Amino acid sequence: MPRRQLGKRRERMLLFSWRDTGVTALILAGAAMLCFLMRFMGDGENYVSMVLLFAVALVSRMTSGYFYGVAAAVAGVFGVNYAFTRPYMAFCFSLTGYPLTFVTMFAVAILISGMTAQLKRQVRQNYSSRLEEMRANLLRAVSHDLRTPLTSISGAASVLSRNLGKIDENRQRALLNEISGDAEWLIRMVENLLSITRINAERASVKKVPEAAEEIVSEAVRKYRKRFDAPSAEIAMPGELIMAPMDAILIEQVITNLLENAALHAAGATWVRVTVSKRGCEAVFEVEDNGAGIEPDKLPGLFEASASSYNDSAANSRNMGIGLSVCRTIISAHGGTLTAENAPGGGARFRFTLPTEEGDTHAQCGNHTHR
Amino acid sequence: MRNAATILIVEDDERIRNYMRTVLQSSDYAVLETGNAKTALSIVASHNPDLVILDLGLPDRDGQEILSEMRQWSRVPVVVISARGLEKDKVAALDNGADDYITKPFGTDELLARIRAALRHGRQRYEGERTVFSGNGLVVDTERRIVRVDGQPIHLTQIEYKIVTLLCRNSGKVLTHDYMIREVWGPFSNCDTQLLRVNMANIRRKIEKDPTMPEYITTEIGVGYRMIEMD
Repeated sequence: MPRRQLGKRRERMLLFSWRDTGVTALILAGAAMLCFLMRFMGDGENYVSMVLLFAVALVSRMTSGYFYGVAAAVAGVFGVNYAFTRPYMAFCFSLTGYPLTFVTMFAVAILISGMTAQLKRQVRQNYSSRLEEMRANLLRAVSHDLRTPLTSISGAASVLSRNLGKIDENRQRALLNEISGDAEWLIRMVENLLSITRINAERASVKKVPEAAEEIVSEAVRKYRKRFDAPSAEIAMPGELIMAPMDAILIEQVITNLLENAALHAAGATWVRVTVSKRGCEAVFEVEDNGAGIEPDKLPGLFEASASSYNDSAANSRNMGIGLSVCRTIISAHGGTLTAENAPGGGARFRFTLPTEEGDTHAQCGNHTHR
Repeated sequence: MRNAATILIVEDDERIRNYMRTVLQSSDYAVLETGNAKTALSIVASHNPDLVILDLGLPDRDGQEILSEMRQWSRVPVVVISARGLEKDKVAALDNGADDYITKPFGTDELLARIRAALRHGRQRYEGERTVFSGNGLVVDTERRIVRVDGQPIHLTQIEYKIVTLLCRNSGKVLTHDYMIREVWGPFSNCDTQLLRVNMANIRRKIEKDPTMPEYITTEIGVGYRMIEMD
């Protein structure tokens, strides 16, 4: 849960937020009600400080920074004194054990607020370091892989310029096709790398705007059809409009990469299908083909862009690892998940999800969330 | 056949300029070229070209500035060149009066298609208001307020109809989200792009044969919408 909120919440000690104020008020009100209830049911007084302590712990955990936790502790301490201990509805600071309650509440508030902040920081650091690691891996893989098409382009060009007219026309045409094919591969590779630069490394987040899923899928498929004749691309879309906040350019890149992956690596595939559906608070995108599927031993490391995976048989593995690891980075930055599996009927199925609500409100439909 | 049109290329990278010149000349366009903003403006003033291809990333001045300055005294069609990922620049250029954009790296076919479309719009500007638009089976008659697809009448809501006619009047051109919202809901509405998208989804379900692969109104991701060329 905190991961989704990462991008939005800056880590400051005293940060005002309506959400946190609301949460604090709600929890304290709940605690107060519970206390009143207990008092009317008799001997509640002993549990009052425990209820309040729990409320303070809850507030500290669910808000960011120290402010709301400490505020809840102060409110709790005075509230208990005023309303729930004899004399009722009056302050009395000479109660036995009162300083202890006071100190305990503060200690709990500060401790848990600190832990919450640290936890959030850690999650973020984890993500940042993962992004950093992926950048390094990408760079290695790319510098390893860039040389091949560059060598082929400059080689073919120099053969052509030296032997123009001397070699037969078919051979010349073949060399030209090689040049443009390799150049296009380079272009796609660079686009993928540039995609990564759109992700804010520090906050591991992207600029999201509500977009219609169908528009993004249509455009990705349109571009795919221009480039590949086979396997044929299909779209399966529900009647309702599915909107999700996203960086449209990046999500288009993800769909493009997954389609291209099917075109280049799904042996024997005759179709590849993009399906969009809504499950609870998530938009679910699936890219499925009817090819040979993914070898089970390759599934675990499928999304890792490590240079080592490029050592196996040259041209076939080109771009695959990089494209997929870019996909995963993009989807994580959106707070979604990307998984790959083999469909029961054979063929590979890639599935990614995007939260359809912005961070804070997603809890409302959390109950329906699938898996 | 000779294309009488004269095209000015404003691009600082010599290789890209050479490439474009070769492509345009082999399609029989007359080509003028320059690598900086200052001469670009004076060539537009002195030679009055039929079209300008403008790279937004010039060394001496901001492309957007040149565009708005040019727009103060010239209505020459302008196609800007921008990179993928710089959608904001494209939107700004369109708002500054550019007619279309082309994304780097681009292919020959795409370049020529955009040029043909922009030249056509340049000419259409002087033809006056049309009231009937048709293309690929879609017919929009703004005088009788009728929309048909393959002869079948289509019932659009007031807002949907406004969106469709707005796109028709600018067929072939990209309209930015903000521009469309201003034109349809008025300049002071605080309507967001979400409402536009919802309306667009409904329009597509009504007029497109396959709403998942629209043929009449295409999406320009991050920028806006484009209606196919209508006659």
